[in-house]
Formats: sequence, C-alpha cells, structure tokens
Amino acid sequence: MYAIELKDVKKVYRVGNEDIYAVNGVSLKVKVGEFLCVMGASGSGKTTLLSLMGCLDKPTSGKVIVEGVDTSELGDRELTKIRRDKIGFVFQQYHLIPTLTAFENVELPMLLKGISKKERERRAMELLKIMGIDKAANRKPSELSGGMQQRVAIARALANNPKILLCDEPTGNLDTKSGEVVMNLIKQQNEKGVTVVLVTHDPDISKYADRVVRIRDGKLIGQESG
Amino acid sequence: MESSSDKRAGEIMYFQMAFRNLRRNGIRSSLAIIGIIIGVMAVASIGIFGANLKATVLSNFQNITNEVLIYPAYSAKLRHGIVTTSGVTYIDKRTAERIVRLPYVKDYAFVCSNFATVKYREGVFGATVYGMDEKSVKKLFSVEKGSIKLSGSCVVGYDLADRLNLRVGSRLEIKGKEFRVAGILKEAGARFDVNPNNAIIISLRDFDKTFNAKGYSFIVVWVRSLNDVQLFKDAVEKTINAKEKKVDVFELKIIISKINETFNFVSRFLMAIAGVSLLVAGVSILNVMLMSTIERTKEIGVMLAIGAYRSTILKLFLLEALILGIIGSVIGALLSLAGGYTVDMLILHSTKYLFSVTTVFYMLEGMFFGLLTTLLSGFYPAWKASRLEPLEALRYE
Repeated sequence: MYAIELKDVKKVYRVGNEDIYAVNGVSLKVKVGEFLCVMGASGSGKTTLLSLMGCLDKPTSGKVIVEGVDTSELGDRELTKIRRDKIGFVFQQYHLIPTLTAFENVELPMLLKGISKKERERRAMELLKIMGIDKAANRKPSELSGGMQQRVAIARALANNPKILLCDEPTGNLDTKSGEVVMNLIKQQNEKGVTVVLVTHDPDISKYADRVVRIRDGKLIGQESG
Repeated sequence: MESSSDKRAGEIMYFQMAFRNLRRNGIRSSLAIIGIIIGVMAVASIGIFGANLKATVLSNFQNITNEVLIYPAYSAKLRHGIVTTSGVTYIDKRTAERIVRLPYVKDYAFVCSNFATVKYREGVFGATVYGMDEKSVKKLFSVEKGSIKLSGSCVVGYDLADRLNLRVGSRLEIKGKEFRVAGILKEAGARFDVNPNNAIIISLRDFDKTFNAKGYSFIVVWVRSLNDVQLFKDAVEKTINAKEKKVDVFELKIIISKINETFNFVSRFLMAIAGVSLLVAGVSILNVMLMSTIERTKEIGVMLAIGAYRSTILKLFLLEALILGIIGSVIGALLSLAGGYTVDMLILHSTKYLFSVTTVFYMLEGMFFGLLTTLLSGFYPAWKASRLEPLEALRYE
C-alpha cells in the first residue's frame, strides 16, 4: 500500500472558452514514510496537484488513492474526515485562524474531531513544545513572527496524528533562518514516520527530500532520487 | 468515546469562536444588535400597551360583567340595545317575582318599555318610553338637572331634552296622559340594558296605566359575582323554564368577550406594524452576516481544509446570529418595559396594569420574534458559508 497513489489524474479548468489543464495525466506513487519533493515553477500545476492529493479538490478524471482508499468514490463528509484524520496541511500563508490563540489553533482540528478537552490540551501543549513555541501558546497569530506562525501551523497539521503531511511552499514567506528551522521540524516529523509531500520552486529545499519530481505544464517531467 | 462534559467543553469553544468573531467587528455587531433591540422593543412595547389599553377599557365595563338580562322567550328583539315589545311579549309579574327570588340574585330592576307618540307643545314625536321604579333609575343613572322623581312625573334622556329644548317643568303628553319633566339625565354611555339618551322614563305604575301593560319587557338582574352568572342561568332553566320556555337569559359577558376579541385584533395589528422594524433589523443582520461571510471566506476555507464539516461551519455562523439575537432580544425586552411604561403614561395616564403576567408574556413574545428574525436572517449567510468550496475559499483574496 502506498501513502498516496495518483492514477492518470487530470484537472481541467474552463476559462472562457478554453480548457486549461492544470494537471494533465499525472501518475505518481508516494511510499509510506517517504519525503517527496515536487518542484515546479509557479503555474506549473504543483499546488493543484497537492490539493488533489489532499482531497481539497476533486480530479476531472483519474484516481486519487489515499492510504488504499479510492477517494473518487467518497462523499463530502468522508473526504472531510480524510482531511481531518489522515492528512495535515501546511500552507505558504500559514492560514491560522486570527481570532484563536496559537494554542487554540492547534486545538481546533482535535475539536473538529471531537477529542476530549483534556486530551486536546495535553496534545496541543506537547506539539507546541516540539515546535519550540510553547511560550507563545496564548498569543494570537498577529502577535507572532512568520516563522513562529508557520511552526504553529505545523503543530496544527500534526494535531490529529496524520500519517501524511502536505506542505505547499512552507518556507515561501520566511527568511532563510526561519525557513531552516521549519524545514528541520518537517524533516524531524518525516523521520518519525510521517509521509511528507512538499511542493516548492526553491531548489535548496529539495535537499531535505528522499525523492524529487518535477512538474511542468501539469505533467511530471522526470524523477531523480535525492 | 466522548463524554457529555467533553461535548460541552467543545460547545464552549465554538461559542467562544463565534463570540470573538463578533467582537472582531464590534461596531458592526453592535449596530446589528441595536437594530434587534429597537425591533423587539417596538413589538413588545406595543403588545404591552395594547394589553394595558384593553385592561383599562374592560375595567370600565366591570360593573356589567355580572349583569344578566332576562327577556320573554316569545319574541325578544334586541335592536341597538332597545327592546321592542308588541302585544304579548312581556314577562308576567308572577314569573318576574319568581325570577328575582332565585338564589345568586344580588339586585334587580324590572323594566317595561314601549315605543309611543309623544306630544310636546305643538309637536308630535316618537320616543321610547321606559317604565321603571325610582330606585332602579337612581341606581343606573344620575341627573344633569332636576331630580329623579317618578310619581306622576318623568325623567328624560339628555339627547331628547337637547333636541326638543325640554326643561325641568316642561309638560309632555304620552297617550293622552300628561307628565311633568322632573329631571334631565346625564348623557349615558352605550349600554346594553336601558338606553335613556333618547327616551322618557316613567314609573312602573304610570306605565301600567298608560300602556295597559300586564308584565315587564325585561328584567335586569345583577348576580353576586361573575361565576354566579352560569349558576343563575342554570337555576332559571331548572325552575322558570322547566315546563315551558318562558324567558331567555342574555349575559353581558358575551359583550366583554367581543371587546376582548376586538382589542386583541387591534393589538396584533399594531404589533405587526411594529414588526416591520424587526424586519429591518433582520435585513441588517443579513447584511452583517453576509459581509462577515465574504470577509472570512479564507478562514472558512481553512476550517474546511483542516476537517470541519459543512454543518460545523453552518453551526458556527448560526451561533453568531444567535448571540446577536439573544443579546438584542434580552436588552430589547427589558427596554420594552420602559417603552410600555412611557406609552401607558402618555396615553392611559396610568401604569397600574404594567406589572402583570401579560407584560411578561409580551416581553417573551418580543424576544421570541427577535430570535426568530436573527436566526432566519442568519441562515442564508451561514448556509452560503457552509457551501463554499474549500480550495476556492482558501485562494480567495
């Protein structure tokens, strides 16, 4: 079983009278515990690919199989459950909820799952400690630096113990030093067994990956081992 | 898995999120709340005022609620409160005496009435002539001029006196018999038994002589209390009407219930008009929530991405509307007490009916409609938020 398997996946957007193939026939297998880096320029379709893997979007054709489950068969609630329980997202823009403290942001996915308050609090504190930001637990996102916000976001992504972490340019908005901290934290999770798929246009990031695939115009153009 | 206290803790967190979201745009939320406050206050105040107005009006009729009218069963015709009798339509004196000796009777008045041509100076006119004893007339009416004396003389109603320029001492001729006007009655309000304004009242004995009456046209009976009305009616049926139906019993309670009905209708109508302000408040909530939905598109996208069900998003937004509704409705209902007080003072010049169960009822009703309005107008934005596509919402700028 693969963590994620894509079978001839296409995603077509219709703009005016033209069909745009954001993803055009991608087949890809991500092994359990692998650190895969998808590299491509902006507009290459890498973010769309990641969204398809994360069940945020449905393919026009082809299959997306997450941990052996064919997601094309699933309804809205089941897809939501997969996102909640099996996948953690880390976005370039952090996407923290501005009204919640760092601690509550990490609590949120567990709240959505219905985890008990006690367990939520224990796990949130543990994750913030792992990310080295437990002292900022009660601060709002607006009071945190970009690097710290991204670490909160990683903690949130890990809240429900997902097996897969999907990262979309996680260091894109960060300075080199913060970016390194973030990448090391992601790598650390990968070493603990979490499958990581990371999309980026930054070649420096690829050094953390086990494998790098390149995408251009919605198609994979080559594979090399990192 | 999840205990009820955990569930409660979860609800508390959703509640906190909703509350903080409202605080984020404090001024906007406050304005929406003010809208609801005004709407609830208008509806509840009008309701309270309507109820108090009704109570005030009904209190004017208090003395007739335990009044019962008894007519001959044959052909009692009550038109505009005037009973027209012709020929045999009377209650014979023996029956009448039996009726007023029944239990529950506190007081009574025998009344004869007929329509007659009356001569005054050169003119001839038609008027209702009542035959009553002095005591009953004194009980029911008071004089404007002169005094109530009925032996060989009469008293006349205010309108009649006004119309014919009658004065105390004027002489009228009814069916060939002359009567001196001893008194002119004060103008009386609408009554259901004896309407004196356009009538002449003479004594029962004179009435007998003049019209050759064999009994009474109707009897006014006052029972001891409202509850006795039905008991008295039953007693009449069992005794007087046992063999043959001799009399009809007409209770004025019915009129009270008609007044009640009318006022309830008017009150509802006024409340509906006040409800327009609640409608406006609803539109403003709709506006606030829609703006909030649009502004928070990205956040909704995040929530959906990290595993919130659409129903959870719906719940969160409805919770926000509910919070606005609860705050606005409670404050509005409390202020409606002040509103009701003010309107009562201005129009009724009295607030004695303000602190009653009906007031609480209208406050609760105002709150109910306030909440209903916010939930209804909060529903569309909440639904819209819950239908967002996660990816598009995330990319929304």
